[in-house]
Amino acid sequence: MQDWTAIVINSFREVAYRLAGVGPRLLAAITLLLAGWALAAILHRVTVRLLQALDLDGRSARLGMVATLGRAGIRRAPSELIGRLVFWVIFAIGLLMAIEALEVPAAVGLAPVVIRFLPNLLIAVLVMIIGWLLANFLAEALLIFIVNSQLTGGRMMAGALRWLVLLFAASVALTQLGIAREMVLLVFGILFGGTVLGLALAFGLGGRRLAEQALESWLRQRDQGAGGSSGLPHV
Amino acid sequence: MAGVYVQNRAASVARLLDAVEAGISARSAGRTAVLIADCGSQDETADVVRAWCADASGSARQSVDVEPPLHPGRAVHALLAACHELGARGIAVLDADMIGVGNGWVAALIAPVVEDKADFVSPAYARATSEGTLTTNLLAPLTRALYGRRIQQVTGGCSALAATFVAHCLDTGAGAAMPHAHGVEIALSTAALATGVRVAETHLGRRIVDPNLPQLDLSTTLVRTVGPVFDLMERYRDAWEQARVSVDLPRLGEPSAVTPDAERPSIERMVHAFGLGMKDLLPVWEQIMPEATLARLYPLTLLEPEEFEFRPSLWARVTLDFAVAHHERRLPRDHLLRALTPLYLGRVAAFLRTARAASRDGLLRSFDEIGRAFEAEKDDLGARWR
Repeated sequence: MQDWTAIVINSFREVAYRLAGVGPRLLAAITLLLAGWALAAILHRVTVRLLQALDLDGRSARLGMVATLGRAGIRRAPSELIGRLVFWVIFAIGLLMAIEALEVPAAVGLAPVVIRFLPNLLIAVLVMIIGWLLANFLAEALLIFIVNSQLTGGRMMAGALRWLVLLFAASVALTQLGIAREMVLLVFGILFGGTVLGLALAFGLGGRRLAEQALESWLRQRDQGAGGSSGLPHV
Repeated sequence: MAGVYVQNRAASVARLLDAVEAGISARSAGRTAVLIADCGSQDETADVVRAWCADASGSARQSVDVEPPLHPGRAVHALLAACHELGARGIAVLDADMIGVGNGWVAALIAPVVEDKADFVSPAYARATSEGTLTTNLLAPLTRALYGRRIQQVTGGCSALAATFVAHCLDTGAGAAMPHAHGVEIALSTAALATGVRVAETHLGRRIVDPNLPQLDLSTTLVRTVGPVFDLMERYRDAWEQARVSVDLPRLGEPSAVTPDAERPSIERMVHAFGLGMKDLLPVWEQIMPEATLARLYPLTLLEPEEFEFRPSLWARVTLDFAVAHHERRLPRDHLLRALTPLYLGRVAAFLRTARAASRDGLLRSFDEIGRAFEAEKDDLGARWR
């Protein structure tokens, strides 16, 4: 009976001892998480107010950025978008510090690694966003040009250009992240070169008529002058 | 006073300047002057102008300095500034790209200004049915609907301005930033219409298009003409919101005739261009026009060229949808304006099909019908313009 009592007491002692060891770390983690959240929320509000004061939303609307984002299904104002980015970056840092404070063996040293990785991640995201905007811009310009030249196949050509630019942007982003750098370059080279060669062959062999059509249309426009595709003096 | 802005016209500028000088001297009994502003010629134009200015003459000949970057907007403002500085009563401004300018043209332009009958004089031309379709089907009716005055030519290559209107243009910088000739002319005529100064039209006869001019493709022409009209809608919003009905402008001279086409452009190709646009450009148009407009366009693809119809009311709706999308920057503006090309060709095809069968009076009525369609469609524009 005495043994049983001793065992129970020892178990409680052991648990209490371990909890006493974990408790402060847990408290510190919760504090860091809450502080991170609070700081992120404050900086979010400050950033949004500051950007609104600088009329970022109005300027972006005038530059067509709001409409471009809207086409991608992003309905938030640019100031709010940047404010949210600031919030999540600060909150993620707080979360990493909280995990670090817990001293979980598997997560020891995670925070410095992630913080070192963060700039590269942000640059990669930026590269993808710019690549996506550029891909849409160029594809749209090509589509309009082909249709106005009265050539067929505009959608296919524009789609191909869009994917080429996105592929290029993705390979730059992955290289920036240092993920399988050599493999990415190799894959990009093969895909890009292959696509260009494929298009060249398709245009040269299968698309002779299209090439003919394009040249004819260009020559006709040149000869017809101001009337462009109809031969009329429009103004 | 007359001012000519010129770029790379070494071969023809001297002849034009002689005609302008003869015209201005014939009209003004007092001291006259011809000013020339170069927009950055790369050929021998500067030498030709220098030699022309050095020749003895009854009127003052002077080359005007233009501040860089050199372009027609800056050149026209340099001419207006010189006119203001010299204290002239008015100035006739001409683009040196015009050929076939008769002695009577400059006199006819400047006369209403000198006689204090108008502050801005715009030209009106005789033309064949298929000439100037962008003007007759879009620029003129849209401007008429917006500013309530029935102008025939918003970019006619020449105009005359009274001293008071010159001062206004200099104060507000109207057209100074426009890098192309069409844009400057549109800016000046729109400023005159929107600010309520006295505007008159003078008939000048037939305008000849120089075949040696560097040629623009149609979509670039749309960017350079429709673009400024849409841009100016931002500036003069109050004016177009207040304009409810349109009135005729005082017209001087023999009314310009509309003559039959010497050569008939192919309607089939225009209808084909429209059909191709409907097939391939739909994703772009969906960002510009609401579904209600697109639903009215779909049935048009089923029509054969000989029965093709694109009614003025639908065309006016399409144009105003583009104006709203341009204002809201739903697409890069250059893309948006170029995307109008197949629709414009569709409208021209329909216009030419009916115009060929119409009498002269019928044709004039159809121009009026287009103008009225734009006026009707403009009713809800203010509410859509956020």
